[in-house]
Formats: sequence, structure tokens, C-alpha cells
Amino acid sequence: MSVVTDSPVHSSGSDDFIDYLNEALDASSPNSSSDEEAENQDEFEDLSRNKRRKLESTEETEGSTSEGIVEQKLVVAESSVVKVDGCTHPGTFGKLCISCGEILDGESGVTFGYIHKGLRLHEEEISRLRNTEMNTFLFSKKLFLVLDLDHTLLNTTILGQLSSEELHLLNETDSLEAKGSLFKLEHMHMMTKLRPFVRTFLKEASAMFEMYIYTMGDRPYALEMAKLLDPQGEYFNAKVISRDDGTQKHQKGLDVVLGRDSAVLILDDTEHAWMKHKNNLILMERYHFFASSCRQFGFNCKSLAETKSDENETDGALAKILEVLKQVHCTFFEKLQGDLVDRDVRQVLSSVRGEILSGCVIIFSRINHLALPTLKRIAEQLGATCLTELDPTVTHVVATDAGTEKARWAVKEKKCLVHPRWIEAANYFWEKQPEENFFIKKTTTQS
Amino acid sequence: MQLHPRYFGRNLRDNLVSKLMKDVEGTCSGRHGFVVAVTGIENIGKGLIRDGTGFVTFPVKYQCVVFRPFKGEILEAVVTMVNKMGFFAEAGPVQIFVSNHLIPDDMEFQSGDMPNYTTSDGSVKIQKDSEVRLKIIGTRVDATEIFCIGTIKDDFLGVINDPTTV
Repeated sequence: MSVVTDSPVHSSGSDDFIDYLNEALDASSPNSSSDEEAENQDEFEDLSRNKRRKLESTEETEGSTSEGIVEQKLVVAESSVVKVDGCTHPGTFGKLCISCGEILDGESGVTFGYIHKGLRLHEEEISRLRNTEMNTFLFSKKLFLVLDLDHTLLNTTILGQLSSEELHLLNETDSLEAKGSLFKLEHMHMMTKLRPFVRTFLKEASAMFEMYIYTMGDRPYALEMAKLLDPQGEYFNAKVISRDDGTQKHQKGLDVVLGRDSAVLILDDTEHAWMKHKNNLILMERYHFFASSCRQFGFNCKSLAETKSDENETDGALAKILEVLKQVHCTFFEKLQGDLVDRDVRQVLSSVRGEILSGCVIIFSRINHLALPTLKRIAEQLGATCLTELDPTVTHVVATDAGTEKARWAVKEKKCLVHPRWIEAANYFWEKQPEENFFIKKTTTQS
Repeated sequence: MQLHPRYFGRNLRDNLVSKLMKDVEGTCSGRHGFVVAVTGIENIGKGLIRDGTGFVTFPVKYQCVVFRPFKGEILEAVVTMVNKMGFFAEAGPVQIFVSNHLIPDDMEFQSGDMPNYTTSDGSVKIQKDSEVRLKIIGTRVDATEIFCIGTIKDDFLGVINDPTTV
């Protein structure tokens, strides 16, 4: 059978081709003579160039006959060659697509330099990874926790900024008193004090959360601090995000975290760094160990280092926040209904927060009008109801001066008269504070 | 090669050669790739004094060993980091990334203390310090580094050496 190399490309041509293939396959069986085999082999090879052209028009495979299968295999071979050009470019490493190796100059996607230098992932790949991560972590009952460093887990000062009363610390870095919490970093000219309870906090939180560090410091600083907090590398390996890794200046975002927004909690002392993710944020009370830190925030009192004291370990901010985290974690996994993937940790957070001052009805009096909206918002988030007119249902009057009309009404009606710091304390400690600690000193004698 | 006048004297040639080695070894160029070591000096031409400064420029011809990976080349590399996106390996000065799209489907990522990729029957494991044979599918040379993308999805590629048994 002769095979014409430029036969027209329509169905009759394909039938000829099938017959030819059939013959070629039969020819390769042991019964045929070697000459015939060689001849068929050569013709087969000659045709390989034209094969592709014909195949492209005979995409529809003909049934499940053996000829059809052979054709199908060839079609598949052809289409796999085409697939490389249709690569989805899930990400780049050093500007090369990680799937097909092409050079891509585009700027789409997010840089993940903290995982490895040069790595960049595009949106689809990031969502895919987030979803697979979700399943793994929800299965092992873990959520995500993003931790800030400065003033949250530790306090750092530059060696040159130590006050005269703090110089004794230079000798204390190796002593037992420091108990592995005070460190001098000669090569960076810095001294760091870890917040009391931080090691226990990390150990217990790691059982419930996959933890990330996210700081506004630069990468070398972030890595040094991670080494101090986590010498074995078990908590933060390849999960240290510094300001060099963020996508926006002066703002932190969850776009570089490989976890879905609905499963991430953030622990930070600065609210305005997380403008887009306020609902995930647990605000921490700032840790000021060094005088330079106090001065930075405008406090004129003596620092903890100067007075040779420290935050209480078992009763301090970290211990309290650990309790809150445990509560949120427990509520998320045990008490919420519905599919794990549909649950939202932000809802849990706001409901836990809303219980703190629930039942309190508050009226404000003589509060600085710039601070009033924030204070009102915090109180409402904590579950309190805020009124503007005096009413028998009012339970608390928040004022800065005991002499105002509302304040005097409160004392007369035996309602609680407290300073605004009572609301702030409730916000930081996640617990209604005893009102006696926040009574305002009377400025005029009461009759 | 530019040389400061303080080096002039009887050791001029030696100084020039050591400066050359210091400056050139470890650098990268797009055409030749990574310069691994200088093996010999062919010729040092006449020095030209620069106007204004006292520096003298010598044209130096030298031979050296270079390393350049090519697309389609099969290389052996040591794994440096394993994560859910794939693994990073290095072959000398070259950093290679093998994404999980190019790792055979029967290998799954296991996280933990020693994150690794393992086959379903546990017979083959890729973790930090494993040696793997991979194929380069793309390279890019930048000023100081060479980046490559590799794959182990083809035949005869994958782990050569299990570090736990070595």
C-alpha cells in the first residue's frame, strides 16, 4: 500500500492513515520478514512530519478500536506539547516561572521573600495554597496567629540610649536574675528584654496556633529576635515577616500570610498598622521596660528597668491574652456549628469581646471631644450600650471630673462613677475591671 | 584590572594576580555564568596610567573554570529547604527551585520538624540534605546569582541518596 505524502486532509485521508498504521503495527509482529519491516519503518518515519498536520484535523478519536487508541495516544502526545504554552504561571523564582521555566517580567502577585529570596507567587496559587493550608490546619485544630515583636513580646533599646539608672543592666545579661530574658546584641548595639511569661505563652499558643512573626523592624533584626524567642526554630521557621516583606509602606497586611483571613488572629500593640484587618486584631498593652521606650511614647515616669521591677509574670498581659486565645480557640472548634471551613474567627472574637461589658449602660460626661468617638466605639465593641441622656437604666457614668451634673447624679443614684481608663482597662485585659480601682477623686466635698 | 600605586614594586605581578582572583572568583556574568576558580594567567598587558588618579589599569588575560547551567541539563543538587510550595536545592553557586507542580503526584508534602515530600508507601523521601537528580527547565543569570527552575517529574529523576541511611 502506498502512502501519498500530500494526500488531502479529510476523513478519507484519515482512514488511509489508520489502515497504514494498522499495517505498520502488523508489520512489526515477529512473523513478518525483516525487509518488509524495515521498509515500513522508513515510510513510517518519513511520514512523522506530516503526521502532526493530519492529526490536528482528526482530533475526534474513532471509537475504542485499537487504531483509535493509537491515534488517541498520538493526539495526546501532540496536546502535551501544546500544554507548556498554556502554563498558568503560578509563581516565579528569580523571575522564572516555577512551572514552565519561562522568564516573566511582570509584577503581578505577592513577593514571599521571607520564605526564600526571589520567590514570588501569583494570586491563584496563593488562594490554592491558602485553601490546602486551611484543610491541614483545621484538621489538626490549629488556627493562625500573627505576633508583633516590639512592645508586644519584647522591648528593645539601643545601647547608647540606656539611661544612667539602667546602666546596671549591662552587667546583668548573663546573670540568673535575667533568667534568659535579657540579651545584649553587641553587633547591633542593642539590648532586648523579653516580656515576662513569653516562653510559656509561645509554648502553649503553639499547640493551638500556627505562629508568624510580623514586625516593622528590618529583616536582620527580625531574624535575631526570632532566634532569641525561638532558639530551636520550632515555632517560626521561615515564618518571620519583616517590613522588607510587607507590600505596603507603614502598613501590615495579611496578604503575605499563607492562611485565610477567616482563621487568623493578630496580636499587636499598634492598631493603625492593621487598617485592613481590624477585626482580626487583639490589641496588646504596650511593654515599656526601657526608659527610651517610655520617652518614645511620651511617658515621663520611671521605666521598669530603672525601678528594677517588671511586669507580673502570671498576672500580666501575656497571661491574660493567652486565656483569651484559649477561649477563642475553644469556641471556634467546639461551640460553633457548621462546616469548619465556613467558620470565621473574627465573629468569635467579636462575640467574646462583646461579652466583657455586656449589660452595662454607659453615659459619658466631660470627655475630651476628640477622644469621645473612640471611647464610645470601644465601649460598644465590648458590649456596652451607650446613651446620651440620663435614664434610670444607666449603670455607669464615665467622666473625668466628679463635679459635673451627670457625675453628681451618679453618686446620688448610687451608680458607678468611673474614669475612662476603666473602659480602656477592660479592652486590654478582656475582663470587666472592678470599678473601685477607677473611681474619680472628688473635687468638691459632697453634702 | 585596576591597581593602586601602593602595590607597585617587586610584588606587582603577585599583587595583580591576587587582586584578580579576589575580584573575579565568585562573580557571575550572563555569557559565561559563574566563575568558580582562576586556573591560570595567560598574559598581562602593559599598564595604562589613568589621568587624575594614580591608578593603573592592566589588561589581564586569564583562564578560569566557569559553571553555567543550561535549560534541559540534568544536574545533581543538595536540598536546602522543603516547604509546601516545593523544595529549594543548590548545586554549587546555583539556586534551584522545584515547585510542587513539577514533583510527581504520588509524592505528598509532610510538614513537621523535618518537612519532607514522601511517596504514599514511604519508600522515597525528599528532605533537607537529600541529594536529588533534577532537570533544569529554565535559567536566569543576574549580577551575582544564577536562578534556576527544575523538575523531577521525568524518568530517572529524583532522590539519589537518602541522608538518613548515609
